[in-house]
Amino acid sequence: MTATAVPRPAAGGLDDLRSRVAAVRPVLRNQARAVDASAAFPVAGLTALRESGLLGLLVPARYGGLGGDLTDLVRVAADLAADCLSTAMIWAMHGQQVAALVAYATPELRAELLPRVAAGEVYLASVTSERGKGGHLLTAEAALHRDGDLLRVERDAPIVTGGRHADGFLITMRDGPQAPRSAVSLVYADRTALDVRASGSWNPMGMRGTHSGALRLTGTVPLANLVGAPGGFRTVAVSTFAPVGHLAWSACWLGAARAAYGTVLHLLRSNAGRRQFDIRSDLLRVRLARVRLDLDTTAALLARCLRDVRDAGDLTAPAVQLRLNGLKVHAAERSFAVVDTLVELTGLRHGYLRDAPLALERVFRDLRSASLNYGNDRLLLANGALTLLDRGVDLGEERW
Amino acid sequence: MTDQGIDPAFEAVLRRRLRNLPAETPLDPTAPLTDLGLDSMEAVELVFDIEDELGVALPDDTLTGDTFATARSLGAVVDRVRSEPTSSPS
Repeated sequence: MTATAVPRPAAGGLDDLRSRVAAVRPVLRNQARAVDASAAFPVAGLTALRESGLLGLLVPARYGGLGGDLTDLVRVAADLAADCLSTAMIWAMHGQQVAALVAYATPELRAELLPRVAAGEVYLASVTSERGKGGHLLTAEAALHRDGDLLRVERDAPIVTGGRHADGFLITMRDGPQAPRSAVSLVYADRTALDVRASGSWNPMGMRGTHSGALRLTGTVPLANLVGAPGGFRTVAVSTFAPVGHLAWSACWLGAARAAYGTVLHLLRSNAGRRQFDIRSDLLRVRLARVRLDLDTTAALLARCLRDVRDAGDLTAPAVQLRLNGLKVHAAERSFAVVDTLVELTGLRHGYLRDAPLALERVFRDLRSASLNYGNDRLLLANGALTLLDRGVDLGEERW
Repeated sequence: MTDQGIDPAFEAVLRRRLRNLPAETPLDPTAPLTDLGLDSMEAVELVFDIEDELGVALPDDTLTGDTFATARSLGAVVDRVRSEPTSSPS
């Protein structure tokens, strides 16, 4: 690495990254309760993230970004999630879009867009949901229309996280009117290039700050805004979109569950907690141990999958796909189970009341969505088939 | 604990967790606590005893093997935490 005028890469400056995260976290902490109560998008949190440079975490330094890697992504996601899981997921999904752009955008699009992302000007939303396709990531109904060097986009999406506040969108579309539903293209559209119409209301059980309402997007973008080959979203998905998504989501869920566990441990060890709880109780100790084990196994699988994505030449190998899918499923199940157990353990007053300082009730509702956020059942079905292709049962562990 | 010896209140708390140390035997401040019967589970209970009975909450980063090596090492940490302004848990 040579000395240049560009900002120091996060990969080379953990202290720099830590201080950027530390500047944002109080904003998230202070707004989390209000964002949940009103189901409003966390505008203050996003503003803080824009100013922190963290929207450009994964943008290479030559485009003015922090040049961070997936380990940095996971680290930051977990920290943000400790304060506000909604904001952390908004940021993590933005990071997923950035990773796809860095790997697959055309040189023109990269040069135009990535510096703006790094500067905090562009918050990216993901448009993959579509009515009638049942949540399939790798199929699309609405088709791109080509007109010379332009692409016409007309797209309805029932669920777009942060869509009303995004400055740009990565949209999956059928490659053309004659193309099969499986020929999915990924295309970038600036908000300024689109007519964006929001519809419906947003009043979910949890993750209320993600404001994932319905959008109708209409507009025209340059051909150079195709991200990946025409009809080639599957490649983008398998190599970048899905792995980064699973890692980032899992880190968010784990970060939220870990923080909840930490606050309960602090309560149990405090003077007040020592009066309320019998920390010599066998039942309490077994529950604490179970919860810790869930956190440890999730963290271990997350670390293993980070290594897979970093080192594995071929992410389509069944064993790697099994782990990456399994990570999402396991993190979703166990992080929710952790908070469920903590509610049981701390009881009505600390665990169930909305105004309880521990905020377990909010995190419980938030984490209930984890299994639904790209459905666990769908991933388990895929994994069930994939297992039959890995008769050697490659668990990625050290072997002879 | 002081240079003169082991603080009697601390020794009383500690002794209850040292099942290999008969009541009439003096506590050697330099003897390994594991030899005197302190296993890792008893060490956890000892942390709570120290908190409850001596009012000293040992921070997590002091809960190491070195701290629990001997009565002297543990007593020194308890003394140090006790003398710090914020020694009680929040």
